[in-house]
Amino acid sequence: MTTAALIHVVVSGLATGSIYALMALSLVIVYNATRTLNFAQGEMLMVSTFVAWSAQRLLGLPLLAALVVAVLAAALLALVFERLVIRRAIGATHWDVLILTLGLSLMLRAGAGIIWSHDEFPFPSFFSNRPIAFGPVRLAPASLGIIGASLVLMLALAALFRWTRLGRAMRAVAQNQRAARLMGISVERVYAGAWVLAAVVGAIAGVLVAPVIFLSSKMGLVVINGFTAAVLGGFGSMPGAVIGGMLLGVLENLAPLYLPSGIRYSVPFLVLIAILLVRPAGLLGRVERRKV
Amino acid sequence: MRSKAALVGLVALLVVWPWVAPRYFVFLASLVLVNAVVAIGLNLLSGFTNQLSFGHAGFLAIGAYAAALITLHAPAVPVVVTLALAGLVTAVVGLAFGVPCLRLSGLYLAMATLAFGFVIVEAILNLDALTRGADGLSVPVARLGAWPLASDTARYYLALAVTAVLVAAAINLTRSRVGRAFLAIRESEIAAQASGVPVALYKTLAFGLSAFYTGVAGGLFAFLVGFLSPDAFDVFLSVDFVVMIILGGLGSVPGSIAGAAVVTVLNDGLAAFQNYRPLIFGAILIACMLFMPGGITGAVRALARRLTASSGGRSCASSSAA
Repeated sequence: MTTAALIHVVVSGLATGSIYALMALSLVIVYNATRTLNFAQGEMLMVSTFVAWSAQRLLGLPLLAALVVAVLAAALLALVFERLVIRRAIGATHWDVLILTLGLSLMLRAGAGIIWSHDEFPFPSFFSNRPIAFGPVRLAPASLGIIGASLVLMLALAALFRWTRLGRAMRAVAQNQRAARLMGISVERVYAGAWVLAAVVGAIAGVLVAPVIFLSSKMGLVVINGFTAAVLGGFGSMPGAVIGGMLLGVLENLAPLYLPSGIRYSVPFLVLIAILLVRPAGLLGRVERRKV
Repeated sequence: MRSKAALVGLVALLVVWPWVAPRYFVFLASLVLVNAVVAIGLNLLSGFTNQLSFGHAGFLAIGAYAAALITLHAPAVPVVVTLALAGLVTAVVGLAFGVPCLRLSGLYLAMATLAFGFVIVEAILNLDALTRGADGLSVPVARLGAWPLASDTARYYLALAVTAVLVAAAINLTRSRVGRAFLAIRESEIAAQASGVPVALYKTLAFGLSAFYTGVAGGLFAFLVGFLSPDAFDVFLSVDFVVMIILGGLGSVPGSIAGAAVVTVLNDGLAAFQNYRPLIFGAILIACMLFMPGGITGAVRALARRLTASSGGRSCASSSAA
């Protein structure tokens, strides 16, 4: 295999990986604030992408405006579910919340199927699909665009967590919920903020990835890859989530070159099982000690 | 006394069912029994030792394919032995997967089992020399000695007998030292360990047992439907099993059966409304977690307590036994 072809595969792997990284970041944002896993994160991405599609198709909005609509829809959905369900189950174990969000994911998927059907739809892209040549290497603008947009979004998130009031509050709650509350931080508001922020990141990731993998009610399964990415990097660590996502995307794209083709769809799952067994704390994670 | 009478009535109904119900409902009842065995198996793992699994469709698939392949290649083996072997094969896989998973808890275990389910389906698809992959595998008729179990009624009685044995075993187990150890682990692993319960041993045992139950159910399922294809064992089936135990009540054997019955019958009744099925199941999950955390079992217990309390019984029990 030539170097040029290899670079091509790695770059498209990085593009897939950026989406996994964004999904992983969504999961980690909710996990850090609330110590629970939102199983429905992928379905929320799927629904908001469908909203963007509808806005673009039915209302004739330009893609950028459709993206804004999708982001608003995602934020609203997260806010409503957090308010109506998760808030009522405050103090519930992560088990209970996992089941609650599992219920939500079933409902969202079924709802999307009822409204938009379970077919696959083409989705317009921000980027052209004519490859750009860099010397002998030809790269798809879509891949570069996804990577670039994801990096911008990640930097924005980093800035938000570092410099804004909400970001600082979220970090404080992640470190010690009781101490944060004693310092006057509204933990409830942080919960809601985390859900909304994660949903917004998911909506952007959905609009970015939909042109590549087609829009369908199955898109939500990306949550598993996102989780794998987050675990790979060390669950709870944001840089870990990004590195894990990129690594997983590249691995998934390289694997079919060296392994039997049937194994491709198992790669994220095999990676997940392997990582959990060998190094459950992930690449950047620390082993948590529990107190009784 | 009244509950004993109800139990006798239920057993009598189960025994005469093939004579009073139309043929299709005999099949449906067999399916309920199979799902009840899976739900009990899953509950032994999730409800008793707090290890959530989203991969039980994978275990079911292993049991089903094992039973089908044994019957294909060794038709003389009696069906009971086939089912036991299917259970054992699945238990071995379960242990091979469960032992390393001892290091995982909560979310991580749930996701690892989810991944396990996907890998099993992919493995069945790719091992097509053995499993015929996506084409599917037709299962020969089960035999008990010289007697082929070719009718729905015969298969129903097979399922009923096997389920009865497994239910009795599970109930006994939960009342034994092992069952108490499981519950101790559920309440607090660290406290259980401190009280001298070998946590790793019992968690492994729960994994093996759960896989065994699910494998036997897989064997029954194979004979019942007569045709296996990998897409029947997708993640949504695993989710159905989780719905069964959440709805029925975690940590309860009768609850598992009730949950399996409700979900199976609902699934069947909603067959014409495929799109609405997950919507309803999702709503059931959310409603259970918010309003009925003990599932059907918890609700029945609360109702019974209220009834005894209002009839002048021990009213103080209602506050303590939540």
